[in-house]
Amino acid sequence: MSFDKNTNPLKLHHLVGDMEADYIYTPGVAGDKFFKALRDDEKFLATHCESCNHTYMPPRMYCERCFSKLDKWVEAESTGVVDTYSLAHEDRDGEKLAEPVIVAFIRIDKTDGGIIHQLGGVDHESVKIGMKVKAVLKDKSKRTGGLNDIDHFAPA
Amino acid sequence: MMTIKKRVAVIGAGITLFRRRLKETGKELSYHASKMALDSAEMNLSEIESVVMGTAPDAFDGIHMKSENLLDGAGGTGRPYMRPFVGGGTGVFSPIAGWWHVASGLFDTCLVVAEEKMSPVQPHPQTAFRTIWDPFTTRPLHPNLVWIFALEMNRYMTVHNIPKEHIAEVAVKNKGNALDHPSAQLAAKITVEDVMNSETMVWPVQRLDISPPSDGAAALILASEEVAKKYTDSPVWIDGVGWSLDSSYWTNRDLYFPQYVAEAAKMAYKMAKIDDPPKEVSFAEPYDPFTYKELHHMEGLLLAKKGEAPKLTAEGVTQRDGKLPICPSGGLLGVGNPIAAAGLMKCCEAFWQLRNEAGKRQVDGAETGVCQAWGDLMQVGTVTVFRR
Repeated sequence: MSFDKNTNPLKLHHLVGDMEADYIYTPGVAGDKFFKALRDDEKFLATHCESCNHTYMPPRMYCERCFSKLDKWVEAESTGVVDTYSLAHEDRDGEKLAEPVIVAFIRIDKTDGGIIHQLGGVDHESVKIGMKVKAVLKDKSKRTGGLNDIDHFAPA
Repeated sequence: MMTIKKRVAVIGAGITLFRRRLKETGKELSYHASKMALDSAEMNLSEIESVVMGTAPDAFDGIHMKSENLLDGAGGTGRPYMRPFVGGGTGVFSPIAGWWHVASGLFDTCLVVAEEKMSPVQPHPQTAFRTIWDPFTTRPLHPNLVWIFALEMNRYMTVHNIPKEHIAEVAVKNKGNALDHPSAQLAAKITVEDVMNSETMVWPVQRLDISPPSDGAAALILASEEVAKKYTDSPVWIDGVGWSLDSSYWTNRDLYFPQYVAEAAKMAYKMAKIDDPPKEVSFAEPYDPFTYKELHHMEGLLLAKKGEAPKLTAEGVTQRDGKLPICPSGGLLGVGNPIAAAGLMKCCEAFWQLRNEAGKRQVDGAETGVCQAWGDLMQVGTVTVFRR
């Protein structure tokens, strides 16, 4: 083994490269219906498995517990409960954020699942696990049919 | 040598359509194939004790660690679940991994699923291969897979003095066989002239020498002998498995013969007690992403002498009604090539052939079938022997 005390790899004989690749993702059969209903009708659609009595949010076209095909769609609420949250002080590259962001897992009412999103309209001191929140959607003209059509969740 | 505690049977199989740009996500494709396999065995998911997910590079679906993403669609939630990976060889390696789950005595049942969704990667799935090369010795030349294969194909053709027309016969046969496969993407009635006149991509590889990029999934249900007999009177046995890798340095081996496939085949034949493969094998599904690869792999599988596979093909021996049917499914050239799912499609075909359930594709008197895949950095061979 050899080792030289150098913390900068650019000082070594090297090549610079990347693993370039571009993608077009589609949301799938269940995802397509969910995101279009959110964008166009401001509805949160879920799928329900009757044999397991389990309601999937986000919806799925099959039950992962019993493998039934799920075609029973139910309308869930745009409200839920903060199941857990954290305060992000840095972005994903480790850069300091001007203001910490509250990231939360929200269990959506009338379902057994939920959505991970940001909280707004609540400060760091008063945010609590168990608090009731409601989705705040972007203006219709700004929606793209994706997760960020929800701007944030705010106290209900 | 390990002790094989249980004989392993295949008792169900499932497959999706193979197409470019299917609407379903990879999870949803995995679900369709798995559910079909379970239904064919008349089983519920609750009867599955372990799950193996075979899927090739993450770079296709564009989801890093994609087997974790695919878990719920493959019925893996709450179960022992693993992803074996040997690149393009994964499709036939995944039932080998499933086999050892059951043969070891650890589990009585194993659901083996293989998935690939190649359509997300832009501008073409080929892009995903840009970074498989060594950054110093190969990548500076900007290789793509097609020209690497063209080098191998030319070496094979030149060593044995093979006319390109004999190689073109493979595309004619496989695309024709695929006309009878309900999942097929590129089934067609074509001629040797069509192949010879198709666009040259990297000489000697022409457009009709290559399988298409595809989305799709396939699944098999494996069970121990005692459990298999509770579900079916006609199990198909996995009697031999083998795999081997050669050096990843192309410069240190001769490309005209796939020695790694021969090593994998010898391992599988020894386990299955096959002494004379051309006589004892009723049909084979060698990996055929390119026309010449079917021939190359027939020789690697010791089903033809070195350089003789093209001649057997030109003589019609490898037709579905010939003496040694090769790729009765239609292969990757005809059914399509969602990498890992394509390899497992071959094992599904062996199951249906040996159960006499292959419909119009049925090979008469099928007793023993051999499936093989190849991949990684063009140096892995994976082989499975199935018997009725």
